[in-house]
Amino acid sequence: MEFRPGLMVSARDAFGIDSGLMVPMFPEPNEHVPEIDPAYRFNHDVTLALLAGFAHNRRVLLQGLHGTGKSTHIEQVAARLNWPCIRVNLDGHISRLDLVGKDTVVIEDGRQVTRFQEGVVPWALQQPMALIFDEYDAGRPDVMFVIQRLLERDGSFTLTDQNRVLRPHPGFRLFATSNTVGLGNLNGMYHGVQRLNHAQMDRWNIVASLNYLPAAEEIAIVQSRVPSLADGPGTALVASMVEVANLTRQGFLAGDVSTLMSPRTVISWAENVAVFRDPALAFRLSFVNKCDESERTVVAEYFQRCFDAELEESFERAPAYA
Amino acid sequence: MDSTATADRTVTPDTAARRRQQQIRQLCAASIRALAADPALDFRGDHLYRGRTVLPLNAPHLYPDDAADFGSSRGAADGMALRLLHSDASLHARLRPAGQTARLVFELLEQFRTESLAGQPGVVRNLRVRHEAWSTQFHRSGLTETSLGLLLYTVAQVCRSRVTGEPVVAETEDLIEQTRGRLSALLGSDLALLRRLRTRQADYAEPALAIAVVVESLADSAQANNDGGAERSARKTREQFSLLVDAEEDAWLPETAASGTSPTLADDGGAYRAFTTAYDRVQRADSLVRVELLHDYRRRLDKRIVDSGVNVALLARRLEPLLCVPVTSGWNSGQEEGMIDGSRLSQLVCSPAERRLFQTERHEARPATVVTFLIDCSGSMKQHGEGIAAYVDVFLRALERIGVASEVLGFTTGAWNGGKAARDWKRARSPRRPGRLNEVNHLLFKDADTNWRKARPGIAALLKTTLYREGIDGEAVQWAARRLADRPEQRRILIVLSDGSPADGATALANDEHYLQQHLATVVRELEDSGAVNVFGVGLGLDMSPYFSRSLILDTERLGQPEGVRELTCLLERSL
Repeated sequence: MEFRPGLMVSARDAFGIDSGLMVPMFPEPNEHVPEIDPAYRFNHDVTLALLAGFAHNRRVLLQGLHGTGKSTHIEQVAARLNWPCIRVNLDGHISRLDLVGKDTVVIEDGRQVTRFQEGVVPWALQQPMALIFDEYDAGRPDVMFVIQRLLERDGSFTLTDQNRVLRPHPGFRLFATSNTVGLGNLNGMYHGVQRLNHAQMDRWNIVASLNYLPAAEEIAIVQSRVPSLADGPGTALVASMVEVANLTRQGFLAGDVSTLMSPRTVISWAENVAVFRDPALAFRLSFVNKCDESERTVVAEYFQRCFDAELEESFERAPAYA
Repeated sequence: MDSTATADRTVTPDTAARRRQQQIRQLCAASIRALAADPALDFRGDHLYRGRTVLPLNAPHLYPDDAADFGSSRGAADGMALRLLHSDASLHARLRPAGQTARLVFELLEQFRTESLAGQPGVVRNLRVRHEAWSTQFHRSGLTETSLGLLLYTVAQVCRSRVTGEPVVAETEDLIEQTRGRLSALLGSDLALLRRLRTRQADYAEPALAIAVVVESLADSAQANNDGGAERSARKTREQFSLLVDAEEDAWLPETAASGTSPTLADDGGAYRAFTTAYDRVQRADSLVRVELLHDYRRRLDKRIVDSGVNVALLARRLEPLLCVPVTSGWNSGQEEGMIDGSRLSQLVCSPAERRLFQTERHEARPATVVTFLIDCSGSMKQHGEGIAAYVDVFLRALERIGVASEVLGFTTGAWNGGKAARDWKRARSPRRPGRLNEVNHLLFKDADTNWRKARPGIAALLKTTLYREGIDGEAVQWAARRLADRPEQRRILIVLSDGSPADGATALANDEHYLQQHLATVVRELEDSGAVNVFGVGLGLDMSPYFSRSLILDTERLGQPEGVRELTCLLERSL
C-alpha cells in the first residue's frame, strides 16, 4: 500500500467530535486495518491527541486504568483512517529478541541454515503501520532500550546482529498505552522499570489520559449490550451496578483492592443477571470470585452500599471470634 | 484484611474484640476511601485523617463507641464520607456560631444536610441504623430526663426528620411531642426551608444558624430556671455522652499539636532531648547471659518452633518476590530458541536433527532488602519473651533461605526509675523539663552481618527476663533506622514489636505523661514521610495505629503460630 497523505477527512465527519481538524487517511483498508465498531464513542481530547499522532507523526502515550478502553480507542481511530495497525503487549514475557528478531534454523534445499528472522519492530517500521505497545509500564528494561531508539521521530533503527540500518517508512506511527502509574508496583518484581519509564516519559511528545466513561454513558452501553435490562427497573439496577464498579475503581486507586471492574466486567455481570435473575449471585460469578480472598470483605462492603443487601462474603456474616 | 476469623478457643476474648474492632475500622476506612473518592483518608485511633491532618468531623453520632455493632459503624463511616463529599469545611468553619450549644446544633444540621444527599440504598439504610442506635443510646442513658437533654434530643430528631424526609425514631415519638410543638411554633419557617435548600451549603446555613441561635437561648433559659440539679445534669450530659466532639482538639497526635498534649515538648518548641547520655549503652545480648543458660534457652525455643508447625519454605517463597529483584545471571544453554550457542554448533554438524542449539538469559532473584525487627524489652513484655523469640526466629530462617539480611534489636533501660541519670538530675537540683531521664540500653540480638546459624544463641537471649525494664521507644526507632541507613540494600524494612506505649517512670514524672509517646509518634511520622525506611508496627494485643500508619494487632496467645506469621506476611504484601 502506498502512503498518500493527499486524501483528507475532517475529524467531525469521521469521529463525531467537535473539531475542524483535517487528517490524512488511506483510500481503502487492508488486512491489518481493524474492524470499525459503529457504536464506538470517541473521547474528544484523546481523539485529538491520537489524530495529532497520526497526522503529524507524534509519539502518543495513552494512560488510563485497566478497562478504560485505551487500545480500543487507538484501534477505532486507525480503523476509520484505514491505517493498518498491530498491537504488541509488553508484559514481562516479551523480550528484546521478540521485538528485534533472532537467528533461527531453517531448512533450505534440504540443508539446515540459520536465518535471521525479523521481529515485529523491523517489520512494522518498513511499512505504513501504527505500532501499539500495550502495558508499556510493564516492559522489561532490555525491551525499553529497543523502544528508546524508536521514539526519536525520524530515528533510524539499527539491527546490530545484521549490521543493517532501517529507515522508518513515512507512514509508520508509534503509540503506547499504560496503566496509570500511581500505585507503584505491587508485585515487587520489577523495581527499576518504573524509573526507566520516567526517563523515557519526555521522549513521548503527547501524553493523554483516558478515564472511565461518565456513569450515564456506561449505563447506556451496558443496556445496549443486554437489552433485557433496558426497561425502567432495569435502568435502576444497571445504575447500581455501575456504582459498584466505580467504588471498586476508587478502591483500586486507594490500594484497598487489587482487582477492579472494567466496563467489560459490568457487561458480563449484566449478562449473568439476565441469565440467573439474581444480581448477588451474578456478581459473585462475574467479579467476586476473581478477587483475592482477603479483599472480598471490602468488595462486599461496596455491594452493600449500592444494593442494600449482604453478600455471603460480608464481614457481617463472618463467624465471630470465640 | 483477614476475614478468615475462625472460632478459636485459644484467643483471649479482649484481644479478639480488639481485633474485630480493628477489622471493622479497616473495612469502614476502605468504604470511606471509595465513597469519598479519596485514597489519602484513613483512621488513626477513632479519628479520620487525610494524610497527616485530622478532619474536623464533629457531629456526635459519627463516633460510635467500641461496643457498637457493625451496622452502626458502617453508618458512621458513610456519614463521614458524605460530609467530605458534600460539605466545604472552610465555609463551615467561617459560618460557625460562637456559643457551645449553637455550635453543636449547627454542626448537627450540616451533618444531617450531607446525609440527606445520600443516593445509594445501602448508604441510606446504614445512616438510619446509626441514627436509631445513637438516639436509643441517648434516650436510654437517661439524658432525655433533663430539660436540656430533651431539648437537644428533640432538635436532633426534628431537624433530621425535616431534612431527610424520614420519620422520627418511633420509640421516643411521644416523649418529644411537647417540645416538638414548641420548636415548630418558634422555628416553623426555618425548619420548612431546610429540605428545600439542602443541596446548597451557603443558603442552607441561614435557617440553620437561625435555628441554632434560638435553641441556644432556649437552652440557656432551661438551665437558668432549673432546680439545683442543673449543674449535675449538665455535667452528666457532658461526661456520659460527649455531645460536642472536637476532633482537632481530641486527636493527640503531634501533627495536630496546636493543643500541645505534651506541655514539655510544646514549651521546648517540640525539641526532644535527653538529660544525659553518659550512661547509655549498646550491648550484645548474648554477652549478658551465661553460655549454658543460652543453650538451654535455645533448646526450649527450638522445641517451641517445631511444635508450632510453621512452614518455613513456604514463607520464604512468599517473601521472595517482596524482598528480591530479578537479575540476569548467565545463560541457560540447550534451549530450542534464543541466541545461538557457539559451543554447540559442532553438534549441528554431528547430528543435524539436533534443535537445542540456543541459549537464553537466565534470571534469578537477588536479595535487595534488609529487615530489622526492633523488639520492645520493657517489663510488660517479659511474659511474651519466648513467644516473640519464636515468632521472629521463624522469619529469620525464611529470610536466611532467600539471602536477605536481617537484624534483631531490642531496647530497654539500664535501671528502673531513672537509675544514674535520675541521680545526677537530683544532684543538679532537679532542673525543670530535663527531657528523657534514664539509662537507655540498646540490645543487639543479631546484626545484619551475622548469619542466623551463628546468631542462634543470641536470639535465645530474649528469654532472659531480667533484661526487661522500661521502654524508651522513640530513640530506639531512631537507632534502628540509623543502623538501616548504613546498609547498602535499596529497600529497608523496620518492624517494631511492642505491647504498648513508651513507659519510663522517671521521665514521665519529671516531664509529663505524653513526652515519650509524642516523641515516638514524631519519629515514626518523620521516617514514614522520608520514605527511607518502610516502618511497620506489630502490637501485641494492642492497636498501634495511633503511631504507625501500617500496623496490625497480634494475638499474644498465637505468637509463633502460623496465623500470626501469615498476618504479618499479608501486611507486608499489601504495603510493599
